[in-house]
Amino acid sequence: MKRIFEVALGILAAIGGFVDIGDIVFNVAAGALFGYQLLWVVVIGVGAIITYSEMCGRVAVVSGRAAMDVVRERLGFGAGLVALIAGQLVNLMTLAAEIGGIALALQLLSGLPYRVLLVLGVLVLGVVIWVLPFEWIERVFGYVGLTMLVFAVAAIKLRPGWSDVGAGFVPGVPSSNLAVYAFFAVGLIGAATVPYEVYFYSSGAVEERWTPKDLGINKANAIIGYSLGGFLSFALMIMAGALFFPKGISPEALGTVALGAEVPLGQIGLLLALVGVLFAVGGAAIDSVFSGAYNMAQFFGWEWGKYRKPVDAPRFTIAWLVMLVLGFVIVVTGVDPIQVTEFSVIFSVVALPLTYIPILLVANDRAYMGRYANGKVANVFGIAYLVVILVVAVAAIPLMIVTNMGQG
Amino acid sequence: MSETVDLALGILDHQLVDSEDFRCGKVDDLELEGLQDGSPRVETILVGAPAWRGRGIMGRLAAALVRGRMVRVPWSEVSEVDSAVRLRKPSQELSLRRADQSARPLVEWIPGARSEG
Repeated sequence: MKRIFEVALGILAAIGGFVDIGDIVFNVAAGALFGYQLLWVVVIGVGAIITYSEMCGRVAVVSGRAAMDVVRERLGFGAGLVALIAGQLVNLMTLAAEIGGIALALQLLSGLPYRVLLVLGVLVLGVVIWVLPFEWIERVFGYVGLTMLVFAVAAIKLRPGWSDVGAGFVPGVPSSNLAVYAFFAVGLIGAATVPYEVYFYSSGAVEERWTPKDLGINKANAIIGYSLGGFLSFALMIMAGALFFPKGISPEALGTVALGAEVPLGQIGLLLALVGVLFAVGGAAIDSVFSGAYNMAQFFGWEWGKYRKPVDAPRFTIAWLVMLVLGFVIVVTGVDPIQVTEFSVIFSVVALPLTYIPILLVANDRAYMGRYANGKVANVFGIAYLVVILVVAVAAIPLMIVTNMGQG
Repeated sequence: MSETVDLALGILDHQLVDSEDFRCGKVDDLELEGLQDGSPRVETILVGAPAWRGRGIMGRLAAALVRGRMVRVPWSEVSEVDSAVRLRKPSQELSLRRADQSARPLVEWIPGARSEG
């Protein structure tokens, strides 16, 4: 019974932890521009993150080695270093975007100036990371982030045409505006598979000292948690498709997104939406701070882990502090967090194969994984997604240029 | 430890873990001996930035940019090879993790730095 309870808690945290600023921006923008037509792409994106994190979690559980360990082992020093640098740049951009998102949500809640809230947000993040144990961080943010479910209620209240919604789950190509459609398809897959999720997830499996006994939990967290997390993405897109698409509004501010809950549900909807966004984005900020430090430590072989006393893993501790400061420095210059989000998602798609391929190779290696190596199902998905990931990685930059970041 | 280990895939770039279960660097490079007499064996594990010089263009570039000393760990100090290369002694005795020792004062002063997260 205790076990079931634990699994349920983990899944809840995974749902809340799935959505970050990238998902919010891309799902809402895709819904506003194309209605429900891109829902099927979210299904593909969610499948990608399930496949990827299940493998990566399994490798971490069986070997004790997390994502960037595996990348260096397989790619060697040179190519591994390229993967590290690419991964860190994406992590930093993602972090900057999430910190900006925190300040935007706080601004909508309090009306205080944006830059003051940036400082406040970063200080609170620093204290939370320093003080709270790993499991607590994951859960507090995951659970409160669940208030994002208000967008699901909003989506239903907005009375979308359910047959159109259903049709959105069938892959299709629009008759016009094809490049922009493809750009958003790439962005939606990128937003669902931001690399920090996998760095964090696999390192978390080591932090929580999972053993092969926990492989069931790994699978449940990845499959059920992320599927239900994907449900939040659907909700955001359906909400935008029902509210913004018919009116031709393209939401360029987080405030417009929150409007999606306010219009059908009033003040309480707005409040829940902002709190949900705040905690979802805050949790993602913490995950990306840690991911940056995990990556450095795992590539260079430093002692790491929140389970260690900070004095016993000093370089790891300094790495996350530096990461947090750098993220802050980027947004405090005044760059638009929404734009940073778009760039971070598109570049993360480009860098994705560099980590995905080594992990797929190791997950298949019987010398490494023994009887826990990929079975048939994991391999069918693993290889199918390799193809998907390569295609979107190649297409991302050309589409970004051709469509001028989806502006058409 | 299985009977055969692929040096490039199974040892090089793997995590070093000391006898107290602390991570203490990566296998940055290896020195082999006995290549002439036909019985090659791993003699020394090289750890630290200068060891990257032998790791291609990116390695030379990184070694030029990062200061650090190289530590030579005799293979005889290895107790076990699984997904990590495990050592018989604590890091200090092998001169590993010195950068962590020098970074320690930077975090030590913060309240709570000595308690487990």
